[in-house]
Amino acid sequence: MTTPSAPSLASSSRWASTTSVSSSGKRIHREMVELNIDPPPDCCAGPKGDNLYHWIATVFGPPGTPYHGGIYFLDITFPSDYPFKPPKVVFTTRIYHCNVDSNGNLSLEMLKDSWSPALTITKLLLAIRSIFTRPDPYNPLVPSIARLYLEDKAKYDELASEWTLRFAK
Amino acid sequence: MATKEEEPKQIPINPKKQQRESDPVEVEICGTSGNAIVFSPRFKSVAAMAGWDEESLLVASLVVDDTPERDFKHKKRSVLDSKTPPTNSSGRKRRAPRRSPISIPVAVLDLDDAEEIAKDESGKEKKVELEIVSNKDKETREDKMAESSGGSCPPSTNLPCLDKLREELSCAICLDICFEPSTTPCGHSFCKKCLRSAADKCGKRCPKCRQLISNSRSCTVNTVLWNTIQLLFPQEVEARKAVGASNGRETDRQSPGKAVYNARNAQSRRASGASSTSSSGEMTMRRRRVILSQDEGDEAEHRNQEQTADRSIRFLRASRREMNVRMSSRRIPSQDEDAALALRLQREEFIEAFRGTPDQSSSSLISSARANLRAMASRATNHRLTRHML
Repeated sequence: MTTPSAPSLASSSRWASTTSVSSSGKRIHREMVELNIDPPPDCCAGPKGDNLYHWIATVFGPPGTPYHGGIYFLDITFPSDYPFKPPKVVFTTRIYHCNVDSNGNLSLEMLKDSWSPALTITKLLLAIRSIFTRPDPYNPLVPSIARLYLEDKAKYDELASEWTLRFAK
Repeated sequence: MATKEEEPKQIPINPKKQQRESDPVEVEICGTSGNAIVFSPRFKSVAAMAGWDEESLLVASLVVDDTPERDFKHKKRSVLDSKTPPTNSSGRKRRAPRRSPISIPVAVLDLDDAEEIAKDESGKEKKVELEIVSNKDKETREDKMAESSGGSCPPSTNLPCLDKLREELSCAICLDICFEPSTTPCGHSFCKKCLRSAADKCGKRCPKCRQLISNSRSCTVNTVLWNTIQLLFPQEVEARKAVGASNGRETDRQSPGKAVYNARNAQSRRASGASSTSSSGEMTMRRRRVILSQDEGDEAEHRNQEQTADRSIRFLRASRREMNVRMSSRRIPSQDEDAALALRLQREEFIEAFRGTPDQSSSSLISSARANLRAMASRATNHRLTRHML
């Protein structure tokens, strides 16, 4: 959408900028409604405050993993050209995981090159849940944890559950 | 129903419905003459205003095939009959649903694969025979649905699977009902606009299955799907069109004539579906340019007429407070104001919607804002109408 270049109407450019992001806003709103109606298992998400472009999500550690019992909080920030660009997702809860670094950054292909505008937050949360059960040690963000995961799974599990107890409960 | 009474004499001269079943190129060529009959009165008047001659109407009629407003075809037929060489097996497909508009097999409807409508087109030809007998055929269902909703009753009330349909027919990118759906070679459909921006911003791959999509095909509207959507979800489509019209106003504020044209264009699109052939598309473009220059030339006269149009329409919006306040304070609202108001209303609507407080007042405000937008779009059109009539 082109922004109007009328110099006489200074206030109108403000409106135009609001409406130009409205397609992303509309889509985010729709996703919010759909999440409320039919949330994915063990996940929830919603806007942090008034800002529709800033969400908080929680993911429960799935049973059968060392993360079981932990509640993990995530910050989701939507770009203004969402859904054509992926949202930024950061763990605010510390987690012992080879794909999540100490700042909470997440290495997930879905959030980078293989993002598609047809993906939704619901699908994203499910993907995040799936890296709890199946960490990807071959594309690690923390190589030392990935090495431990490959070499000594028991130790990894022990450390991970310790972190879960310490940070995520 | 008046259409029912006239049915018997309709059948023999009915335009080649079946041609849609044959290969697409042929359809477009011979579909022209017959389909001109199905213009809606609204579209005809709009077309007349735009200065379309008979021939271009015929070309444009390629895309009107399945639009619901059919009431006018009888009047037009007598004129066009001589030009229309009768073709084989014309009335068949239309006849079947017409005869029994009530016994539509609603319960069997299962459009799990709405996208397949497009894919199936090639296979349609052999199915024609079966269509009359068998209700299980998906296309028959599709068509019957189309026909039934083309009648007087709105479809939204009597289709139990509407939620499922809504899901199927919505665009994965904007999560809304597909607006002017465009189908990728891999068979997935999205709004034309959404697909285009996805191709621009995320590379030329299908958002759903990541297959490569070529440029040329991604820009054509899947007419069958689009008409189906228009028939099934008229309200949603109208709402989107109203938004589109006001957006057009916003971007075209520099030349107010264009904004009016946009609104009117939306109106004509409503009647005509979307253009799929490049030839008619080109023609439209050329015409648009002509009209634009004309519009800018007639600016002064334009404003005069606007007043008349406003007055005639005002009573329609008696309940809409905001508009009325504005109107009474100023007799001649300018295009700029209109655009500004539209934007403001839209903004308010979004703010209210996104705040997520489902209290009574906010929802009523949203609906009134929507109504206002729609009223504005129609006012622009009506204003056009009056202007050309005088």
